Amino acid sequence: MTKRQFLKRRRADWRRFEQVIAAANSVKPKRLNGKQVTEFSRLLRVVSHDLAVVRGHGWDLRLESYLNDLASRGYNSFYRAPPGTTNQIVRYFTSRFPRLMRQNFGYVLAGCALFFLPFFLSWGLVVARPELIHRVVPGEALEQIDQSFGEKSPLGEPESGIGWTPGYAEERTGMFGFYIAHNIGIAFKTFALGITFGVGTVVTLLYNGIAIGAIFGYAHSEGYGPRLFSFAVSHGSFELVAIGISGGAGLILANALVHPGSRTRWESLVVRGLDAVQVAVGAGAMLAVAALLEAYWSPAPIPAVFKYIVGGMLWLLVFAYIAFAGRGPDAEAVTEIGRTENGGAGELRRWNDDRRIGAT
Amino acid sequence: MIAPVSTNPLTIASAAPPIVDLGLRIETPENVVLTYTLAGPTLRAGAYLIDFALQMVLLTLAAGLVFCAAFVAPNIAFGLLLVFWFALSWWYFTLFEALWNGRTPGKWAVGLRVIQDKGYPVTFWAAVGRNFLRAFDSWPFYAPAFVSMLLNRRFKRLGDLLGRTVVVCERNVVLPREPVIVERIDPLPRDEISGRPPEARTLSLIDQFLGRRHLVSIPRGHDIARPLALALAKQLRYSGEPSLVEDYPMAFLARVYVTYLRRDEEEPETTRWAGNAIRPAAVVTFP
Repeated sequence: MTKRQFLKRRRADWRRFEQVIAAANSVKPKRLNGKQVTEFSRLLRVVSHDLAVVRGHGWDLRLESYLNDLASRGYNSFYRAPPGTTNQIVRYFTSRFPRLMRQNFGYVLAGCALFFLPFFLSWGLVVARPELIHRVVPGEALEQIDQSFGEKSPLGEPESGIGWTPGYAEERTGMFGFYIAHNIGIAFKTFALGITFGVGTVVTLLYNGIAIGAIFGYAHSEGYGPRLFSFAVSHGSFELVAIGISGGAGLILANALVHPGSRTRWESLVVRGLDAVQVAVGAGAMLAVAALLEAYWSPAPIPAVFKYIVGGMLWLLVFAYIAFAGRGPDAEAVTEIGRTENGGAGELRRWNDDRRIGAT
Repeated sequence: MIAPVSTNPLTIASAAPPIVDLGLRIETPENVVLTYTLAGPTLRAGAYLIDFALQMVLLTLAAGLVFCAAFVAPNIAFGLLLVFWFALSWWYFTLFEALWNGRTPGKWAVGLRVIQDKGYPVTFWAAVGRNFLRAFDSWPFYAPAFVSMLLNRRFKRLGDLLGRTVVVCERNVVLPREPVIVERIDPLPRDEISGRPPEARTLSLIDQFLGRRHLVSIPRGHDIARPLALALAKQLRYSGEPSLVEDYPMAFLARVYVTYLRRDEEEPETTRWAGNAIRPAAVVTFP
């Protein structure tokens, strides 16, 4: 067959495949019916075959690159991940995320330790020697704390909730936005800095531990203690633990780079990295919960004793979530089989091995 | 077998190993070899600038809305603005790439796409990983990303290393027209050439070159064509007028093309395939 005959004979299929790919790549791809899927699969094979023929003959570089593009686009659409479902999101929070935390428990624990140890240490130190606070926290920040938790606090009296400023409620929504942007941003950065062989992660954790601990110590020594503690106890459960967890995610990256084992450092990063990403996103979600609590529940005008009870329960909830959520029969196995059926290609084992890490 | 593939035609013609090669060769599990063109730092910076501009526009619009809403409920408006800012800075790239098959508006405009190392579409978690590491990659001025891109062969920034992704150029899919038929040009006389005939790829390269010869001036066209003309004259043991090769290399290439193209087109397919060492590799094994 000469090149011209080949072009004439095959062109119709290529044109058709262009249309099929364009439809599959449109903004809102339509669900294909069985017949269309069969056609897609047939055309993908046809184009792949033609590509090999053109390449083998060295007929035309432009024709080759045209067919190569068609085949690679087709391949890209054909193996597109099935669309995410609500079910997958639910499963991520009910089993995948807590499981990953347990699988990487050492890292999570280390992350929490790097935050909580300096936290309590600087708290104790500032209570013992109040002048130390000025070394850690600048004056303006202290004035803000005085305003928020001092005698004229909009929170009112912690024992009864009397003296609560009415306009405060509207202000809290503004603070909610701030908590989301600021806290989750810090958590994600703590994770990302794990790529610096952990230096950035460890510094961020230590810094936050020391600063927040110092503020607690300051409030304690100034006598704002009850007001601050009853305010912080509820959301602190999610917030502080999540900061530790995001640090743990960063430490997974760091350890992959520091101790790559028999792999190269970058390979090791790839293998451990996607676990770390999933842990970090979970920590972000926990911080979103904390932001809701901090904005709307923590400053509520109710006696402090309720806040301590609810706060205590929330701490138990967080620990129970990490320890017990997602135990039981393996939901993941079902996903893998589902994925296999969706793939529709012959050589699935290799394909699945590659994808498993990325799978939800 | 499939011959090694490069996107740079010159490396094929001269058969020298490429020093810097933008080609990425992926063999799929179905034994189809696909080639991609990697996107270098410049293209990616262009795409990023477009995305950045779009982010700024969106943020400005949101700030304008908030400014209006601030007369009614200043704190709520400000809180929502902060949430929007957070979503834009951490999720803009992530969600676009995850939901729009590896593209963001900037990448789409420049013609780039993020794919996994093995050629399939970027997965959600890979998109999250590669874009969360932007926090480190982008500071300061994407310097860590740039250094990382220079240090590996696939232009990967640190986020790409983590997510197992590469950024590739998407060319426009246009079916090439029929080969140029240079009717008025005479083939070389058979008694003036005796060497090994040129490869089909070389002929294809000449075809492309002649098809686009009007893009450069005639002297420049001769300059570009001369090295190949000299090499071919040597290979074919051309014994005709030497000034044709030296002074009019484009004309020489056209005559070589016509000589062998005609022969190609006229010969029946069996002899053509038998005379060619390369066989079509049609190993496509999926159902």
